[in-house]
Amino acid sequence: MGVKKILLACSSGMSTSLLVTKMQQYVKSIGDEAEIWAVGQDQAKAEMAKADVVLIGPQMSFLKSELQKEADKYDVKVDVIDMVAYGMADGKKVYEQALRLMGENQ
Amino acid sequence: MNEANIDVLTNEQIGFQLILHSGNARSKVLEALRQSRQGDEARAAALLKEAEEDLNRAHHIHFQMIQREASDEKIEFSLILMHAEDHLMSTLTMKELVKELIEWGKQRL
Repeated sequence: MGVKKILLACSSGMSTSLLVTKMQQYVKSIGDEAEIWAVGQDQAKAEMAKADVVLIGPQMSFLKSELQKEADKYDVKVDVIDMVAYGMADGKKVYEQALRLMGENQ
Repeated sequence: MNEANIDVLTNEQIGFQLILHSGNARSKVLEALRQSRQGDEARAAALLKEAEEDLNRAHHIHFQMIQREASDEKIEFSLILMHAEDHLMSTLTMKELVKELIEWGKQRL
């Protein structure tokens, strides 16, 4: 796998933008390479074709099955960000969750 | 999930905790409306109750913040905290409206 592409989505793309920064800091610290970006809920479907995995905030977990249906077209997994990791703004844990999901896809 | 004690959290984490609990509530409120629309009123009621428990967790954090401010301890303001407040307030509004919508839907049957 080349550069890992991780899409984060939440209702306005704001809290996940901060999480992106945290994840990028962690990725850099371990010498990994990943493209991580955040969008709001309305853009999630349009952006997911470019991603290897999609992680969504708790405020849009009710949209998970709808988003997964769309993501199936690109063979991409969608999951809700782990609650503990989200609540602590833990970039390392969220990145590891993304890696696990991508692993399941290979 | 345990009730968070804000003393062990950074300001940023306090914001994320508020968004987490309001966000869980938001998802459950909207899911409740969907369930009601599909005729499962029991599931809808259970989801609304769960949403209220999530909102209580958010209120518990909020309460500690207000207490902290009342004891003249400055709370550092940030965009993420303002955003968290928006989340909490909009979810409260959403919950009240969805409750009414569900009742309205029942009357129309």
